[in-house]
Amino acid sequence: MQFEPIYDNGELLLPKIELNMTLNESVGIITDLKRKQILMNQFVNHSQYYLFRAGQAEYMHLTVEELITFLIRVTERSDRLAPLMDYFSLKEERKIRIKNLTSSKRMYVTLLRVFFAHQPTIVLEEPYFYLEEEDRRHFKRILDDLSKEKQILILTSNLEDALISCDVVYRLNESGFHPLDIRDSEEDKQEVQEQDQANITLQKISTKRNGKLILFNPPEVDYIESVDGSILVHVGGENYDCALTLTELEARLLNFGFFRCHRSYIVNLQKVREIITWTKNSYSLRLNTAKDAVVPLSRSKLHELKVLLNI
Amino acid sequence: MSISLKRAWAIFVKDYKEFSRNYAVSFSVIVPILFAFLFRSAGPSLPGAIGFLLNTSFVLLTCLVQACLIAEEKERNTLRSLMMTPATTMDVLIGKSTLVFVVSAAALTIAIYILGYKPTSMWAFVAAIILSIILYTAAGTICGLFSKTLLEASLSIMPVALVFTGAPWGVLLADNFPLFKVLEYAPSVQLVHLLTLHNAGFTTGDLLKPLLIMLAWAALLTIASVMLYQRRLKDE
Repeated sequence: MQFEPIYDNGELLLPKIELNMTLNESVGIITDLKRKQILMNQFVNHSQYYLFRAGQAEYMHLTVEELITFLIRVTERSDRLAPLMDYFSLKEERKIRIKNLTSSKRMYVTLLRVFFAHQPTIVLEEPYFYLEEEDRRHFKRILDDLSKEKQILILTSNLEDALISCDVVYRLNESGFHPLDIRDSEEDKQEVQEQDQANITLQKISTKRNGKLILFNPPEVDYIESVDGSILVHVGGENYDCALTLTELEARLLNFGFFRCHRSYIVNLQKVREIITWTKNSYSLRLNTAKDAVVPLSRSKLHELKVLLNI
Repeated sequence: MSISLKRAWAIFVKDYKEFSRNYAVSFSVIVPILFAFLFRSAGPSLPGAIGFLLNTSFVLLTCLVQACLIAEEKERNTLRSLMMTPATTMDVLIGKSTLVFVVSAAALTIAIYILGYKPTSMWAFVAAIILSIILYTAAGTICGLFSKTLLEASLSIMPVALVFTGAPWGVLLADNFPLFKVLEYAPSVQLVHLLTLHNAGFTTGDLLKPLLIMLAWAALLTIASVMLYQRRLKDE
């Protein structure tokens, strides 16, 4: 998949991107509204891409069952209604008209259109935005099954949404197009360095932004991430470059209640509000900060975290 | 372009359910029947009653329903989604137009029966009705494509109402305004001509001329609506 670069008043909005998409590996791109539109405008080929836009609505007067029947017939699939309704977990709602569903269920039913797509690639804009927890789980399960046969690309402005069902996540913003390291791998067991803690009394984290050197007290920091080899310190929704490596930072911040929750992330445990379980094997941490932030949590680190928190 | 009757049928069934449950739109079925009762009480001697009834119903029923069906799909972005399924332009248009045709034909049959109108030439009358429904459906498609919402669609049929339903009156002014002579060729005027032919003394030519003009309108509008449909949906 290839995107052509887009300029606006001499400013590069979208760099030239080449995405290698494979089966069984959904890709997520975290970006803003404007860039989402630019990306979507490049999916013009209807035989190649099925594009699900956030503004999609549904035939309000049909019942759920009638809608699914229509979609089966119009796409000429050989599925039977009853097993499909079971698969979608819509048995209880089958006689309800679309307009009488709750807004989360209505969105879920609308999203099912992607199930009937015949194109090899499915592109979804903000699929999880209007969904409640339960419907998210159902839809994630369906997308996981779909990804065995189709390439799936999710465009969202929310990291948490991307984490739910993407295996590879990229961030596209004014600084370009970069992969985020969210992969949950167990082989990268870091050797925890023995550090002489006794003489550390004062610890500032020095960061750089626009040529200025900015010092933060550790409790101010929300979390630290490694993107493309560079270290970003997140404070109050903003991010700052740091010259130290994650391992160095981890050692320094251990005494301030920081925790290496993932190969590429260090989180300030004082700010963690919630441990989110998506499936048995994927977790993330939601932070209690001004801007809603979510950080991935490795499966291998979950146990360590539980011990640390005495739970 | 491939046409699949299976897909067109699926669209027909879906649209029938949507149409019958959306009372704001399906209410327009009442229009011809209401007029029929109104004119019946005035007596069969009322001249031009059948012409007025038909010409009004074609706009307020056939044209309006078709425009609403298309605009509603555009409003909810389901038409765009439909384009990404195997369903082709013709599948969608045939499915919708068939529904509108069946609904219009049924409502008009009931209305004519209530009114008690007896056509001079049955085959010419039926042919004229069929051609009219087709041409007004195509006009409705064009209206629907020019509007983004259901509300816009119900207003967009105003020009059709003015030009087609208004034409028989416009012709009356032709003596003062020579420009209005063009309206002579409007399908609604031709329909009125056909209806006012009396038992005594008409030739097959008298019947054929209006029918041919209406056929030309139907063909022209249908081709225009299909082309416009493909063009409009390309830039979505």
